[in-house]
Amino acid sequence: MIIGRFRQRWRRWIDRRIPRSDDQQFTQKNIFILPSGAGVVFGILLVVMLLTGINYQNSLIYLLTFILGALFVAAMHQTHSNLSGLHLALVEAGEGFPGEPIAFRLRATAKQAAFAIRLAPEQHDAHTIHVDAGAISEVELATTGLRRGPVQMADIRVDTRFPFGLLTAWSWMRPQGQGVVYPKPVMPPYEPGGDAGGETSRRDNQTTDMVDANIRPWRQGDLSQRVLWKRYARTGEMVIAEWEGEHRDPQWLDYDQFPGADRELRLSYLAALVESRSHDRQPFGLVLPGQTIEPDSGPLHRQRCLRTLGRFGFDTAPEGASAA
Amino acid sequence: MNETATTTLPARALIWLLGAFVVLLAPQWDRLPIWLTAACLVLAGWRWLAQQGRVALPGKLWGTVVMLGLIGVYVATVQGRFTVETAASFFVLAVGLKWLETRTARDYYVLFFILCYLAAVNFLFQQGILWTLLNLAGILILLVGLQVLNAPEAPNAPVAGWKRLGGLLLKTLPVVVILFIFFPRMSPLWSVPLVSNQARTGISDTMEPGSISDLAQSSERAFRVTFADGLPPHRERYWRGLILDHFVDGRWEPWQVQPRRRAGRVLSDGGVGPLQSGQYDVLMEPTYQRWAFALDDSRAVSTNIEPTADGLFRFRRPADTSIRYRLALDPEDGGELIQALSRRDEQRYLHLPAAGNPRARELAAQLRADYADDSALIQAILQRFRNQAYFYTLRPPEMPDDSVDSLLFAAKRGFCAHYASATAFLLRSAGIPARIVVGYQGGSPGADGDYLIVRQYDAHAWVEAWTPSRGWFRVDPTAAISPQRIESGLREAVAEEGSFLENEWTSPQRYGDIALVQWVSLRLDLLNYEWQRWVVGYQGQTQMNLMSRLPGNLSLKDLGYLTAGLVGTIVLAAALWSLWRQRRPGVYRPEARLMAQWLRQLRRHGVEADRSSTPMALAQAAAARHPDGARQHLAFARALNNHYYGPAPLTRADRRRLRNLLRQLRRRT
Repeated sequence: MIIGRFRQRWRRWIDRRIPRSDDQQFTQKNIFILPSGAGVVFGILLVVMLLTGINYQNSLIYLLTFILGALFVAAMHQTHSNLSGLHLALVEAGEGFPGEPIAFRLRATAKQAAFAIRLAPEQHDAHTIHVDAGAISEVELATTGLRRGPVQMADIRVDTRFPFGLLTAWSWMRPQGQGVVYPKPVMPPYEPGGDAGGETSRRDNQTTDMVDANIRPWRQGDLSQRVLWKRYARTGEMVIAEWEGEHRDPQWLDYDQFPGADRELRLSYLAALVESRSHDRQPFGLVLPGQTIEPDSGPLHRQRCLRTLGRFGFDTAPEGASAA
Repeated sequence: MNETATTTLPARALIWLLGAFVVLLAPQWDRLPIWLTAACLVLAGWRWLAQQGRVALPGKLWGTVVMLGLIGVYVATVQGRFTVETAASFFVLAVGLKWLETRTARDYYVLFFILCYLAAVNFLFQQGILWTLLNLAGILILLVGLQVLNAPEAPNAPVAGWKRLGGLLLKTLPVVVILFIFFPRMSPLWSVPLVSNQARTGISDTMEPGSISDLAQSSERAFRVTFADGLPPHRERYWRGLILDHFVDGRWEPWQVQPRRRAGRVLSDGGVGPLQSGQYDVLMEPTYQRWAFALDDSRAVSTNIEPTADGLFRFRRPADTSIRYRLALDPEDGGELIQALSRRDEQRYLHLPAAGNPRARELAAQLRADYADDSALIQAILQRFRNQAYFYTLRPPEMPDDSVDSLLFAAKRGFCAHYASATAFLLRSAGIPARIVVGYQGGSPGADGDYLIVRQYDAHAWVEAWTPSRGWFRVDPTAAISPQRIESGLREAVAEEGSFLENEWTSPQRYGDIALVQWVSLRLDLLNYEWQRWVVGYQGQTQMNLMSRLPGNLSLKDLGYLTAGLVGTIVLAAALWSLWRQRRPGVYRPEARLMAQWLRQLRRHGVEADRSSTPMALAQAAAARHPDGARQHLAFARALNNHYYGPAPLTRADRRRLRNLLRQLRRRT
């Protein structure tokens, strides 16, 4: 009980002392250092050796004890400076499906060489890196998100026992940058699009009625075959027809296609469809309430769509809310 | 600890551990039984082969069998004697057995601790400078191994490890020196004498006719002496050690075995300060015995020895480490009152077995009849040795029965112990009180002739006789037979025979005629002598004496405070220094540097930008201000961006390219 409360308080103190940030510079302010288990035993050993030296009046045992003791203190400096001067930056926040490892890419640089730095996210495998002075070392750490939405890296414990393993210097890196957990793909019971007659006919009408109204200027990312080249030849203006007729119409994946399903399920359906379309290399577009992603294909497009699905409903929340 | 407990020990770290073990085992080689050393090496080798996958480590059953087997052998050889030596042997055995269950990184630490302590134990037995260096080397190997263990993938770990360790040692050197000088040397909290049961080269407390010639085959050092007034001549260097006055079964023994003293507080005052005129310092190698060696007519100056009734000196506890004491020569006055022997003493010094050696007894009676005066009789005996064909030899024939008779009348070849024994026998038979003195005679000068080295082959036995007019005085039959032995030493005395150190191939003394060998050996000895005097012998009174030269009268307690203060100050200074070093701004990152340069350059040219701007924003601001350089600015920003956020790290070539670009920009803007 008391330990739990103490731990909580310690946790809060750490959170205040090491604010969330994508950039972490380890300095005197945020490095902690204590003897490791081996270091404690070593301390006891030194006392025993000193007693032996006293009892046998043996100067050389005194000398050996002093040398080892001084090295112990020097190792404290060394271990500390091994970590201090290290700089960690979150380069890329990861994304992935629920339950999959979501890799966060960190970049480490160091003023002076840092050896055997262990990066251990809570409940995940630790990585050990060496960073040479002035060099860059990258590491990918995994976290798992179970629920759809933005995900933050858990606190990463950064520690080192170098050189002798008798002391542990440690600190935390608490990245602010958020990755995304995509919706869990769930195949919808029926394939919308071709079968869903009502939907397409509605669009058909729209297309035939409002051809002009749906012409818009070319934007980066538009497929070249969708440019109205005739019009370009005439006016020199690159425009795109939003709906170009049924036979070349890419498959639109629409949030509103699944009446009766709740939001998460709809997003899951959409995710599954994005996956299957991407797998078949078919172009597709995505329509969500309030935002539209133009039809396209390829891995970047897939990622963009999945990311949008993952973020859906979260982006309106104030940025700093989760980073208190 | 969780992680290190489960990770297996990498082979690279294991090599260092094994190496350190072998190095730290070496200082005990002459003390450990052969089987134990062999077992340790086999066990370590086994572990190494297991690491390479050639053999398997024993399972629980076999491990237990091996362990019980070796412990059984140990118990059988120790036979219930418990001394520090046997404890040290058991310690070594435990280390050896640990190899069979060294699997994880945590086991490395266990062995690291044990081996550190083994080094400390080694210092109990060996304190020479070379052994000290070897022990320290073992510790350093362990520490390099620890670095390899903690960063096994680091490139070129061993070399970097040595460098780092060297740097750490250099940095800590001042603290170590200060601690060594100032740390208060307390007296022992409890006393456990280091009693040895192993035979050590040196004089023993019985003398059979052949015993000293064994010593003559050893060039081990017995002790070293520094004189205040220069070395005395060779023939006067008679170092008395102990007196044997009981002749029984052809063997000389002390009349009374000294009572074993309870181990108690030991005064470690070995005499401090410069030598006064007439004084000399003896630094004795451990003998595990209580006797000290001194010249005739000496008196004790240091308090760690005490005189006995016979003009000898004794330590308060067996000399289990090298020990230093100081004596002074009394000026020869001769005006001393000679005390008559008590009746009991007279009986004791005249006592002979009832039977044996009939011809010697006959000769003694004959001499007594010829010479009424004791001194004349003694002269006659020496004359006999001088005139007749007696030989001084290291290869005497066997003389099993009636040793005195066979020496005097048959063999006529013998060593100092034979002649001393025969002379004492003759004197006692003739009614002159006599006793055997065992010790050393001679010694050779060390480097620069500053001190005297007395070696085991200088061991000697002679006779002291008592007459009412002169009291006790020395009678040395060896001087009559082989004057060279007394004038210049054993080497010359047996030069013709060629038997000097004939079994000691490695001893530098054997090659005394090669100047270089001799020079190196003497220099090494000098180094060791200074080491023993100033480092090994830096204890108790020596420290207090050094401290008394400092202002203020420092007690042990003051020393404690002083040590804590000095060390604390150094540690604090080091901490402040590293703090200051870290306060210096700026992370070293080449991109950031380039960016900062660019920013400075732009500011000089009136582009308003701050540190938080991204490269692209800066480029746009610069382009707005200096349109003709816009393309370069953008290119620079893009390149910088690539390295900041892209996957490609900045190589040396990239950096050069960017710097060139920056130079072009300076011209443009």
